[in-house]
Amino acid sequence: MIDGDWLSYSLSDFLMFGPEVFLRLFVRINQDFWPWQGIALVLLLVVAGLLVRGDTLAKRGVLLLLAAAWVGSGAGFLMEYYGPINTPAIWFGWAFILQAALLTVAALVWPWDKTTAGLARRWQAGIGWLVMAALLPLLVVVQSGNWHALALFGITPDVTVAASVPCLLLLPRRVRWLFLLLPLLWSLFSAATLWTLGTRLMFVLPAATLVLTIACFRFSPRPGKSQD
Amino acid sequence: MAIKLSRRQFLAALAATGLSLRMPALMAASGEKAIARPIPSSGEPLPVIGMGTWRTFNVGGDQQLVQERTGVLKRFFELGGTLVDSSPMYGSADEVMGEALDTLNAHDRVFAANKVWTRDGNATREQDRASRRKWGIDRFDLQQVHNLLAWESHLETLKQMKADGDIRYLGISTSHGRRHRDLATIMEQEPLDFVQLTYNVLDREAEQRLLPLAKERGIAVIVNRPFQGGGLFRRYQSEPLPGWAEEAGCSTWAEFFLKFIVSHPAVTCAIPATTRVEHMEENMGALYGRLPDDEQRRQMADYVAGL
Repeated sequence: MIDGDWLSYSLSDFLMFGPEVFLRLFVRINQDFWPWQGIALVLLLVVAGLLVRGDTLAKRGVLLLLAAAWVGSGAGFLMEYYGPINTPAIWFGWAFILQAALLTVAALVWPWDKTTAGLARRWQAGIGWLVMAALLPLLVVVQSGNWHALALFGITPDVTVAASVPCLLLLPRRVRWLFLLLPLLWSLFSAATLWTLGTRLMFVLPAATLVLTIACFRFSPRPGKSQD
Repeated sequence: MAIKLSRRQFLAALAATGLSLRMPALMAASGEKAIARPIPSSGEPLPVIGMGTWRTFNVGGDQQLVQERTGVLKRFFELGGTLVDSSPMYGSADEVMGEALDTLNAHDRVFAANKVWTRDGNATREQDRASRRKWGIDRFDLQQVHNLLAWESHLETLKQMKADGDIRYLGISTSHGRRHRDLATIMEQEPLDFVQLTYNVLDREAEQRLLPLAKERGIAVIVNRPFQGGGLFRRYQSEPLPGWAEEAGCSTWAEFFLKFIVSHPAVTCAIPATTRVEHMEENMGALYGRLPDDEQRRQMADYVAGL
């Protein structure tokens, strides 16, 4: 491509599929995964429960479950379903697996301090997270008009990333940026894709995740109390 | 000699004409000859409506959609189409085309056109081999350098492949009106059988230089994006066709847009892409009936510009 030629390209020139094919990915993965969607629902409840519990062990558990969710949506949705129609999805699939490895390392070897937030704040966090992670999958359903297109946490990437970003606030700010890089890149990629596809309702999710991710680079929750 | 018709006869004739104009299947079944243009370098006739696969055949492993696209391809062949164009750039389109050809057992019915799309100028044969394997064919009828990418080295290899009988025709493609000046230079200097470019009732830059040059140099022209990627329908579908459209051989907007293109004397074939059988049927309407003359082409362009 010669200099200046890039200027004549638009995002749609790089998209090799239409919204029908993309929305069908959600239906297909749910059909193939059936009836194991229950695991994703249990995952939601356990993460919410651990956020409420809030002690060191619970924090480690949250990160481990997030790791499982990133592997699920990366190796499953991105590499097996999305990748064949959009090559960058395969690269993101590998990046999701790398992110899961990072989360696992953080869960297992990070020297967590023993501070914990107050009970009320932990309940707010747990219930708030549960409500968000349970409602976000409906965006694809509304967009496609098909209940079978439910985009579950741990199975599809946008919901997994959106629901993971607030949990990353558990990590100290000095290392958190490392875990926010991929959510930032994915949200940019996904928002650009969904905007170009014209699936404007679904676009809201990565766009909001993008804003949230940028905020998380800067924001730190108030320090909690020691468990001792 | 004047023929006197009763009102009933006149209405019946009018209805039959209108019906046949709208139903390419009837025209194909009734033995009406599809409009074809000779490939200048060989004289081999090519139906003026082919099929593109950009965005439409990239459905991955979705068996439901693979079946639907197979239905579209089946209708294309039934209605007299032969040329199908794809590219390694189009995701899984090559694999899906291979599955569809297998299902229809249509490997010998297709005029198979593909592209080489890699910056590695030494990978021409390797990519051709990979695409052939996906299509399940022994050789491509036409192999093109996609978007002029590393065109010097690819074209040299394609010339050798043609000499060896590994491909029948060679060409070079561009789209969206990009790099027309470079394409013109290549057309002037290289022994091309085909060029592929964007041309439609709104994007008419090719009329200035490329189409006359193709005619002069005896190069077949494949036209991509005949509907501006669907944009022409979004813009004009709610508008009425002009009253004189039937005289120009057009009973739908699809025929209007396609016949405008293929009636240009330098154009060999247009390659609309679709995911729906009914749209394929509309598109293939442009393969039959009469084509607009020069005056009608001017009228068509003016009408669209005035909407």
